[in-house]
Amino acid sequence: MDNGRSVALLDAYRPALVPLAYNLTAAAFPLMKIYPAFGCVQEGITEGYVNDDTLIVESSSGTMALGLAIVCRWTGHRLTIVSDYACDPLIQMRLRDLGAHVEIVSHPSATGGYQRARLDRLGEIRGEHPNSWWPNQYGNPANAKAYSRFASQLVETLGQIDCLVGTVGSGGSVCGTASYLRMLFPELIVVGVDTFNSVLFGQLDGPRALRGLGNSLMPTNLDHTMFDEVHWVSAAEAFTATRLLHRKTALFRGGTSGACWQVARHWAERHPNLRTVCLFPDDGHRYVQNIYNDSYMAENQLWLASLPGCPQEVKSPREAESEWSWMEWGRRTYEQVLSEMPNASRSTPLVSSV
Amino acid sequence: MSFQVDVRSATALTPQGSGQSIAIAQYGELFQGVVADEEQNLHRCLVSLPCSKLHSAAKFTFTDQDTVTVLPCVKEKARRAALLALKRLDAPFSGGVLEIESNISEGKGMGSSTADCTAAVWAVAKALQRSISSRETAEVVVNAEIASGNTMFERAVLFAHREGRVLEYYSQPLPGMVILGLDTARDETVDTLDFPAACYSSREIENFKVLRAALRRAITTQDVELLGRVSTASAEINQKFLPKPLFGHICQISHEVNALGVAVAHSGTVMAILFDLADPSCNAKARSATTMLSQIGITEVLRFQI
Repeated sequence: MDNGRSVALLDAYRPALVPLAYNLTAAAFPLMKIYPAFGCVQEGITEGYVNDDTLIVESSSGTMALGLAIVCRWTGHRLTIVSDYACDPLIQMRLRDLGAHVEIVSHPSATGGYQRARLDRLGEIRGEHPNSWWPNQYGNPANAKAYSRFASQLVETLGQIDCLVGTVGSGGSVCGTASYLRMLFPELIVVGVDTFNSVLFGQLDGPRALRGLGNSLMPTNLDHTMFDEVHWVSAAEAFTATRLLHRKTALFRGGTSGACWQVARHWAERHPNLRTVCLFPDDGHRYVQNIYNDSYMAENQLWLASLPGCPQEVKSPREAESEWSWMEWGRRTYEQVLSEMPNASRSTPLVSSV
Repeated sequence: MSFQVDVRSATALTPQGSGQSIAIAQYGELFQGVVADEEQNLHRCLVSLPCSKLHSAAKFTFTDQDTVTVLPCVKEKARRAALLALKRLDAPFSGGVLEIESNISEGKGMGSSTADCTAAVWAVAKALQRSISSRETAEVVVNAEIASGNTMFERAVLFAHREGRVLEYYSQPLPGMVILGLDTARDETVDTLDFPAACYSSREIENFKVLRAALRRAITTQDVELLGRVSTASAEINQKFLPKPLFGHICQISHEVNALGVAVAHSGTVMAILFDLADPSCNAKARSATTMLSQIGITEVLRFQI
């Protein structure tokens, strides 16, 4: 696929920059993962890991799988996705329509949950196929690097940006975008949004109702020293915020967009003289069965009568319990924050290679 | 141009006519790196920081000799530029004397050979009473000197300096700035052609995408602060390839006086501190900076404006 066409395809997925307030702009992506999917595959080709016959194989429960399936449709590569129960039927249908082979792992691993189990199965598949390649969104720097086009769009449209708010899953979008913006604006404030029971910012692994952000394993694409603040939001808060966002602005978005909006809206109001950009990673289509289904929301107690007006401040990650909380992270390393925690347990293992 | 015709022998033509012109210097670049065109091919490119306080002056006079000679005879690139210009403009004569006078220091990143060559091309055109566009001038100059600044253009352009091609025209001129130019290594020079072109990493190429977008925004919206940030970021990337002594100290001074930022010669020794012309405290800031520069041993500073 020639370079000009590939860039045109990528541009078709560029975000709309939507002003939500005079000092708050949302980058509403149709599917933000197209950027790292495209970036990783392109780099694989450039570096010689990927040729026309390479089988591309990735572990994902959602949007990264879809992003890769779309990119592989453009490039003509074979794709296998290793997923789990959380991979909803709509995504599975789309993946198969796009020519991807989908494997579902049935049991979680003893440590590291379903994420570990998927990676183990991925390793087996790679062993069976010598000419195969794993984009590795959690560890591949090409993920974070892929956001140059987006950072360019932001600067060209908005000029100076003072604060970036985004949900964190692999660390690619927030750390990638922020690293480019900080070349020009070293004072840029970076606010990460995580969810409870995610290990990313010092909590202990546990079941998470909110998908698309948080992690059971620590991705190397997450550079903790980029973050000034970290927030934790619950699934109920994020889902309620996503519905409120739709009611207020007509933006039809996924759960991570609601989570991000909840934090960014508050941050922008508290900093009226600063320009804030928030990332809305995907649109609402994949969430019609849950977030946009009133019965589902009621049955699962996900509709909150109102969102908290402001978050609880915590001094340490594990003080954040079940309601919107935030912490001054201060661009420290994970180890620095961990060492200052009372009764800190041993550090979380990194994502190991397959 | 006028020439005498001997009616008895039509081949006896005596060339007469001369032309003079001036071309300005630069003080390093606001941006230098690698960008992609519409077909995604990469090009090395730059935006020069123009300095009209320094210039080269050229005079070209047709003579009946076979070729072009230049005074002083070391100005070989300018001589080549004059020859190429004669050819480009289909001159009826091929011989003349080119005289170059310049107050631009050589080997410093101030575009002395670009100014010599540009002035030579324009002097030849004047001698022929012909016009030549900036774009054509750029092509001739790059042919003569292999790599060139973009000072032959009236306004800033994103210039592929080894190809003589404009990659992007901007809709506005550079916003007004006061500039303090200085030399970080007075006793050293850099030969642009000997100095190897920077080998950028793929990450740096992605960085340039963002800087290019910021540069476009800064010029289009006359955002002089953003322009200062772009220039500083470009200078920081370049510091890896051709480090400037005292770079850190000069950046620190720029920061302390609240200047816009710094610019560097990406293949030279000079640097500049940039100030907003529209800032009422601009003069005071420039004076503070001059004092602080002298405290680190930089006592010669050229103040100019764009």
